[in-house]
Amino acid sequence: MRVWHILRARIRSLLLRERREMDLSEELRLHIEQEIERLRASGMSSEAARRQARRTFGGVEQVREACRDARGTATVDALVRDLRHSARRLLRDWQFSAATVVILGLGIGANTAIFSVVNAALFRVQPFPDPDRLVDIYQNRSNSDGIDASSYPAYRDMAEYTDVFASTTTASVPNTVNYRADGAVRPALAEFTTPTYLTVLRLRPSLGRWFDAAEDTRGTAIVAVLGHQAWVRKFGANPSVVGRTIRIEGVPVTIVGIGPAGYNGTVNLGIVTDFWLPVSAIPALGGPPRALERRPEEAPFLVKARLRDGVTVAQARAAMTALATRLAAEYPQEDSGKGISVFASSEVRIHPQLDTLLESLAAVLVAVVGLVLAIACSNLATLLLVRGVARAREISIRLALGATRRQVVRQLLTESMLLSAAGGAAGCLVAWWATRLLRALDLPIVVDLSLDYRVLAFAVALSLVTGVAFGLAPALTATRIDLIPTLRDGGDARSLGGRLTMQNALVVFQVAVSVLLLGGTSVVLQMLGASRIQRAGYAIDGVAMLETDARYAGYSATDGRRVYEEMRRRVAALPGVESAVLTRGLPMQTSGTRVVIEGVQAAAQPVVVASAIWAGPGYFDTLRIPILYGRPFDDGDRADSPRVAVVSESMARAYFGVVNAVGRRFRLEPDANGWIAVIGVVRDTGTADLQGDLVDPTPRLFYRAFAQWSQSPTTVLARSSLGAASLVGAMQRELRNVDATLPVISATTMERYLGDSLTVSEAVAMCLGTLGAVGLCLASIGLYAVVAFTVSRRSREIGIRMALGARGRQVVWGVARQVGVLVGVGTGVGLTLSVLAILALRAVAAPAPGVTLYRPTVDPLALVSIAALVALVGVTAACVPARRASRVDPVVALRS
Amino acid sequence: MSDQTDLLQGTLDLLIMRTIALESMHGWAIAQRIQQISDDLLRVQQGSLYPALHRLEHQGWITAAWGASENNRRARFYSLTRAGRKQLTTELSKWERLSAGVSLVLQRT
Repeated sequence: MRVWHILRARIRSLLLRERREMDLSEELRLHIEQEIERLRASGMSSEAARRQARRTFGGVEQVREACRDARGTATVDALVRDLRHSARRLLRDWQFSAATVVILGLGIGANTAIFSVVNAALFRVQPFPDPDRLVDIYQNRSNSDGIDASSYPAYRDMAEYTDVFASTTTASVPNTVNYRADGAVRPALAEFTTPTYLTVLRLRPSLGRWFDAAEDTRGTAIVAVLGHQAWVRKFGANPSVVGRTIRIEGVPVTIVGIGPAGYNGTVNLGIVTDFWLPVSAIPALGGPPRALERRPEEAPFLVKARLRDGVTVAQARAAMTALATRLAAEYPQEDSGKGISVFASSEVRIHPQLDTLLESLAAVLVAVVGLVLAIACSNLATLLLVRGVARAREISIRLALGATRRQVVRQLLTESMLLSAAGGAAGCLVAWWATRLLRALDLPIVVDLSLDYRVLAFAVALSLVTGVAFGLAPALTATRIDLIPTLRDGGDARSLGGRLTMQNALVVFQVAVSVLLLGGTSVVLQMLGASRIQRAGYAIDGVAMLETDARYAGYSATDGRRVYEEMRRRVAALPGVESAVLTRGLPMQTSGTRVVIEGVQAAAQPVVVASAIWAGPGYFDTLRIPILYGRPFDDGDRADSPRVAVVSESMARAYFGVVNAVGRRFRLEPDANGWIAVIGVVRDTGTADLQGDLVDPTPRLFYRAFAQWSQSPTTVLARSSLGAASLVGAMQRELRNVDATLPVISATTMERYLGDSLTVSEAVAMCLGTLGAVGLCLASIGLYAVVAFTVSRRSREIGIRMALGARGRQVVWGVARQVGVLVGVGTGVGLTLSVLAILALRAVAAPAPGVTLYRPTVDPLALVSIAALVALVGVTAACVPARRASRVDPVVALRS
Repeated sequence: MSDQTDLLQGTLDLLIMRTIALESMHGWAIAQRIQQISDDLLRVQQGSLYPALHRLEHQGWITAAWGASENNRRARFYSLTRAGRKQLTTELSKWERLSAGVSLVLQRT
C-alpha cells in the first residue's frame, strides 16, 4: 500500500514537474510575504521588514533544491542534468566524440554483421516441438571409425524397431536438380524422403499436405512438397501452386503442399531445400541407378527418429548396435565392419563430423572479428584515458568547488554511456548496411541475414560493456587526482608516466593486430592468385558454353544424345569456330569419387578420392590441355569397348607413382569389376567445383567418356577465333534451330563463368581486407590521439628546449622517434604473429578425406609491403601533431 | 553536520505532525505555531521546514491542498492523513521512551 503510494507520488511528481515547481515557488513566496507582514505588524518599516524576512529565510534556491531532494525525484533530475551536461560537452569536443562514435560504430558494426552470419549458419536452431525426444542415426563407415550416412535399406531395417522408435524417417542428402516452371529451367535442391517426415519432426505443412504412403510407390504419378522459402521467393507465394504440375528433371511432378514456414530442410547449413519428393521417385528422376541398394556411398541417407515414451537414447543405441551386428552378418559384402551411431538431435548441428569443422570455422571468424573489436575497444580506452588526463584540471576544479567524487564519476560515466549508446546506434547502422552488402554478394549459401533480436542484443550489450568498462576506469583514475599539485602545476606530470605506458601498450597492440589482419588478407589474396594462375591450365579466350536439357523437350535418353550430337555439329560448323565438344554440367566441374587402384592392397590403401570430369572426343583440343602421354578419347571408345580414362599428371604421380601411367588400371570403389584402363595423361589444370574451386593446386583428376557410361551430355563447349561473346549468341540461335522447345540452362563465356565462380574467395578476401583496413584505420586514430596528446603535454618542455636553441627539426625528430618506436614494435609483433599463424595453417591436416586445404607460404614481399603500409599510416597520423610541436611558441608555452 | 540534521529532522517531523494534528495549516503558520507554543525556544528554519513538509507529503503521512489563508491569499494547507495519524502515535511513544531514557541517564550519573 505504502509502496504503491510512494510509487504513484513519484510518478505524478515526475509527470507534473513544471506544475510542482510553480507550486513550490508560490508556497515559498507566500511564506516570505507572511513574514514581511508579521514584521511590519510588529512596527518595522516595510523596507527593513523585507530585508529581515529575506535574511531569515536564507537561499530560496537551496530550499527548492532540498524540497526536490525530499520528493525523491533528485536522481532523475540529476540524470537529466548529467545527460544535458554530457551532451553539451560531447558536442563541444565534437572531434573526440565523432572519432569515438566512428570507432565504436565500425567495431560493433563489423561484429554484428559477422555475428549475423555465424548466427544464421550455426546458432539458429531449427524449431521442433519436443526436441529432446528426437535422435539422429548414422551408419558408420566400414574399416574406419568415421561416421557416415546410412543406406536406404539400412533405414528400413532401423524403422522396424517400433518398440524403440515411435516414428522414423529418412531423407537423402540434398542434391541439385533442375525444374521448369513458367517457361524457364532453373536449378533447385531436392530431398528424397518418406511420408513420415513431418510426423517425426512434428511439423505441419503451411499449405496443402505432405505426400502419403500410396504416393511413395514406384510407378505412381510423382508428387512433391515445395519448400516454403522456394514458394515465397520463386513462386511469389501463390496458393494456386498447390495442385499445379511442373517438370523436375524433365519429369512431370504435381505439387501437393508447401513445407513448414521457417523450416529450411534436413541439412541445416545455410542451404534451403526447394522440393521434398518420395524416395520411390529417385529412379524416375535420374538418380543413381542403385540408390536404393545398400550403398550409402552412392546414395547417402540421413535418418531421424522419435523415441517412444520412456525409451532413452542409450536404449536406442543398444538396439542399433544389435542391428549393426545383424546387418554385418547378413550382408558381409556391404555392411561388415559398420557400426551404427545414435545421437540426440540436440547434440548434432548438421552432421557429427561436419560440426567440428564448422565450429572451428566459426571460431576463427569470431576470433578475427573479436580482434577488430579489441582494437576498437583499446582505441576507445586510449581516447578516454587521454581525455581523462586532459580533463584532470577541470575535474579537480569541480572537486574543489564541492562536487562529491560520486557526482563526478556519475557524470563521467553518463558521458561514456552516452558515447557508447551513440556508438551502438552507429554500429547497428553499419551492421545493417554490411548485411545488405553481404546479401548483394550472392554467396553460394542462402542464409537468412536478417538482423534478429539476438544480434541486436549482442550489439547493445557490446556497446554498454565497452562504455562502462572504458568509461569507469578513466573516471576512477581521474577523480583520484591529488588536488593541490594538479591545480598548481596546471598539469600532472607525475602521474603521467604510468598512464602513458598503458596508452603506448594499447597503441602497440592495435598496430600489431592490424598487421596480423593484413597478413591474413595477404594469405587469402595469395590463395586467390594461386587459383587464378592455376586456371591458365586451359583455354579461356574465345571459349563459350551452352547448357541445355533435352528431357524438357520430351526426348528419350537415346534421342536426346542424338540431339546433343546434332547441336555440337551445328556449332562446330559456325564460322570462326575452331572446335566444339560435348561435356556434362559446366566445364571443369568435378565430382569427387572414391577409386581403387589396381595392384594396391585394399587394406593398405587409404581412402583415395579423385575428381571426375565427363568429356567427349576433342575435349582436350578444345580447351587446349596438353596431352603428355598416350592418346585422347576418340570415336572408338564406345559402350561395348573396354572402359578407358584420361588422368591428370597429379593423379598419375600420386596414385600410380609415375607420370606415364598409360596402361595402368583403376576402378570406382562401389563397382567391384569395372576396371578402367588409363589411355592418356594430361597436364594439370584447375577445376571448378562448386565449393569454391581454389583450394586444390594439384587436383587428382580423371576424365571419362559418356559414350561408355550411358550418361547424357548437357553442354556444348566451343572455341572460336572470333571471340566468345558473339559465339554465345550464335550457339543460342543454333539451339533454337535444332528444336525451339529446348531450354537454355546456362549460356555464357568461359571468362564470365570463371569470374562468377571466384566470388566466394573474393568475398572472403574482401571481408578480411576490409577488417584489416578497419583495424589499421582505428589503429591510426589511436596513434594520432596518443601522439597529439603527448605533444600537447610536452609543449612546455618543447618550449624550454626551443628557448634554449633547439630547432623545429629536432623537435619533430623527437616526436617521430616516439611514433617510430610504437609503430616499429607493433609491426614487429604483428609480423611475428602473422608468420606464426601462417606456419600453423601449413601444419593443419585435412579435416576429411577429399578435402584439401590450401597451404599458404610465408611471402616476404607481402609482409614487407604490409610493414611499409603501416609505417606510412603511422607517419601520416604523426604528421599533424609533429608539425604542431615544431610550431610551439616558446614564450607562450613557458608563460602558460 | 549531517548527524545533527538527522536528529533534528526526526524531531521536526514529529513537531510538524503534532502541530497539524488538530487543524490543517500552511507552512508559515506551522513555523509560527511551533515558535509560539515553545515560548520562542524553538525556531524552525525555513530551509528545513519546507523540505520536511515535502518529504512527509511524499511519504504519504500528510497531504496538501490549496486554500485561502487568513488574509485571503492562496496557500498550501497541510493536514494529517490516516497513515500519518498512526505514524504520529508511534512517533510520540517512541519520543516519550527516548526522552524518559535520556532524562534517567542524565539524572542518575
